[in-house]
Amino acid sequence: MTGSPNLSRRDVLKIGGGLAATVGIGGSLAACSGGNEFEYMFWGSTGEQDAIEAMLSSFQDTQEQLTIKPVYTPADYDTKLNALVASGNVPDLGYVQPAMAYRLAEQGKLLDLAPYFDEYPSLGQRLPGSYFYWDEGKCLGTQGANETVITFYNRAAFAETGAQPPPASAAEAWDWDTYVENAYLLTADQSGRRPDEAGFDPAQVARFGTLASMWSGAWYGLLLSAGVDVVDSSGTRTMLDSPEAIDMFQKLIDLMYEHRVAPSPSQLGNNAPSMAVQLASGRLGMAVDGQWALLDVSQAGFDFGVGVLPSLGTPKTTAMGGPTAIFADTEYVEQALELYAFQSDPDQVDLFSSGLWMPLEEKYYTDPEAIASWTDNDAHPPEYKTAVIDYTLENSQTYFTQKLRNIEEIDRLITATTERIQTGEEDVATVMGELAAQLNDGMLQGVYPSAPQ
Amino acid sequence: MTSTTLDRAPARKAPPGSPGGPRRRLGRGEARWGVLLALPAILGFAIFTIGPMVASLIFSLTDWQIGGDPQFIGVGNYVEMAGDPLFWKSLGVTTYYTLAAVPLTLFVGFVVALLVNQSFRGQSLWRTVYYLPTLVPAVASAVLWIWIFNPDFGLFNTILRSVGLPTSNWLYSESTAIPSLVIMATWGFGNAMVIFLAGLQGVPGQLYEAVALDGGGAWAKFRHVTWPFMTPVIFYNLVTGVIGTFQVFNQAYVMTEGGPNNATLFYIYYLYTKAFTDSEMGYASALAWVLFLIVMVVTVVLFRNARSWVFYEMGDAR
Repeated sequence: MTGSPNLSRRDVLKIGGGLAATVGIGGSLAACSGGNEFEYMFWGSTGEQDAIEAMLSSFQDTQEQLTIKPVYTPADYDTKLNALVASGNVPDLGYVQPAMAYRLAEQGKLLDLAPYFDEYPSLGQRLPGSYFYWDEGKCLGTQGANETVITFYNRAAFAETGAQPPPASAAEAWDWDTYVENAYLLTADQSGRRPDEAGFDPAQVARFGTLASMWSGAWYGLLLSAGVDVVDSSGTRTMLDSPEAIDMFQKLIDLMYEHRVAPSPSQLGNNAPSMAVQLASGRLGMAVDGQWALLDVSQAGFDFGVGVLPSLGTPKTTAMGGPTAIFADTEYVEQALELYAFQSDPDQVDLFSSGLWMPLEEKYYTDPEAIASWTDNDAHPPEYKTAVIDYTLENSQTYFTQKLRNIEEIDRLITATTERIQTGEEDVATVMGELAAQLNDGMLQGVYPSAPQ
Repeated sequence: MTSTTLDRAPARKAPPGSPGGPRRRLGRGEARWGVLLALPAILGFAIFTIGPMVASLIFSLTDWQIGGDPQFIGVGNYVEMAGDPLFWKSLGVTTYYTLAAVPLTLFVGFVVALLVNQSFRGQSLWRTVYYLPTLVPAVASAVLWIWIFNPDFGLFNTILRSVGLPTSNWLYSESTAIPSLVIMATWGFGNAMVIFLAGLQGVPGQLYEAVALDGGGAWAKFRHVTWPFMTPVIFYNLVTGVIGTFQVFNQAYVMTEGGPNNATLFYIYYLYTKAFTDSEMGYASALAWVLFLIVMVVTVVLFRNARSWVFYEMGDAR
């Protein structure tokens, strides 16, 4: 091996040490390169990304000393945030899933916003259900925006079949039989036969009347309308095995397998086109979904309408939204609070007027001028005021996943259970009984003191 | 360059047939250069494999939610695991998948390798065609198979319907979800096939001639020449296949989210949800160590068992 330099042990150590130092210094420089940087971490579609970045750009114009850095994380958000928490490198402000937000707040990682409500009235005057209190008087924040669950429909499909459009006010909400009757009118196979006509081919359905979504956000309003909740007031016993809940689930299952007016999960498939595309193409007559779908529905190029949900007694819907939180380690509390108020202002973020979001402050639901500021546009149909705004204000209850402790485990079990019953092959009462037994066996651990109704 | 090492070490007799003649120890300078050049790999292994393994072993003995302070609980996580129905469910699901997917993939890969090892026109084209599926990115493959499995308008049911056969709910039924994923895994037999093919081309041709001279036919050639020579390759594919399928994740993450009703709750997917959805890093670390032990035991058993059926041309080659 002549010709090669003969390295001593010291040389090897020097070179190795040099390499390590280079890596270390490089990493440190990368970590320190931010200066007065303020990180805003969020998820969402590319449309939401554009809107948030535009909002942050507007906010940047009000800041001289601070550089606002959008941290867009469209996938694996929880994984990334967990890694950042574990490494002590959290953003200053960001979206957080409810369960993680409560955990981080209890660990002292999130700022308590309650002391700032008087100083920042727009934080203190939001819809009561939008607040996340992790302890008495301690608030980690509010939803980033509000959402509710409503009925979307294709007006042409209703006109063509003679079905009555879903009512646009809670007072006129359909009872279940009326809902099913109209779904029958809308449903037709490739030969134009309805499910109640001889020769109807359920394997070749051209249009389904509605969707029977087993997502808990979609059925929660229906459950509430039947006079029961997922849990009792203590949050330690479930009501999902009550006769009312069993009846509600059975009604949803019957839409698919008895009435055949809604696609089963296997007919729908898990890569089915979006609800907006299915409504626009006439594959669906109506659908229960989150208000956020208004953005896509309004841009799908068809004549659509919105209405309230059917009711099993007292008209009810669900209000929901993921929390946005300020991380306790931020050096810029004042700017974070300003941005916190700024980001939910419909004048600053066009996601409110485009239909994706609903505002949080009460005035946007009660003051005609404020209402017009975000609804007076093509995305929001004329009946939106009564079908969505009034409905949200007077008939909504916060989604149970935003209040229950141990929700990740609970949600996983409820999802697995609804996957069992949605096949239509198992007895609903038996399955819900098994679910209740597991939930009541210590899995339900009460509620957070969040969201006074 | 010095000659110190040769001076110090008596030259050993090289075994007959070994190349290079007498072996010599590396010079000190050469050894240091070797270490230095290997340093990136060594450091990478130490920092990104050994370090996290040691850390996860320690975490597994704690009750640690990300963001909080780890509390030492000894073997508490392992005890909790014994009473966790989802742990057993995920273990059962993964074992079922492994027992079905590995043999089927090896069988199909082996048979196809035998076929494309024959001389025929377009041989290279067919080899490429069979290997191509393994080049499809995992997520793209998953999306493709979601469509194929769609009970309403998917490829499989459309074909079954067109020939009057009963259809299946594929991924949407608890009973058929894993068999569906096994079919999907078998589609990616290309890797195993290529390795089998390389093995087949190493089988000495004169042995086939010897069998033919003794009056043996195709079966005798396969039974007494091909099979024995291929057993090390089969064994290699078996071990890597078992280790790989115990770590299956993409299908659950992209296609099923562990459903329906946890029918595809693969072990690693469950571990992932405990770590990054529930943030229970201590428990997730314990899950990882249990899987490591399971895979290690299975691998040891396979190696022990291999002595009875794997043939090495040089008897001590294992």
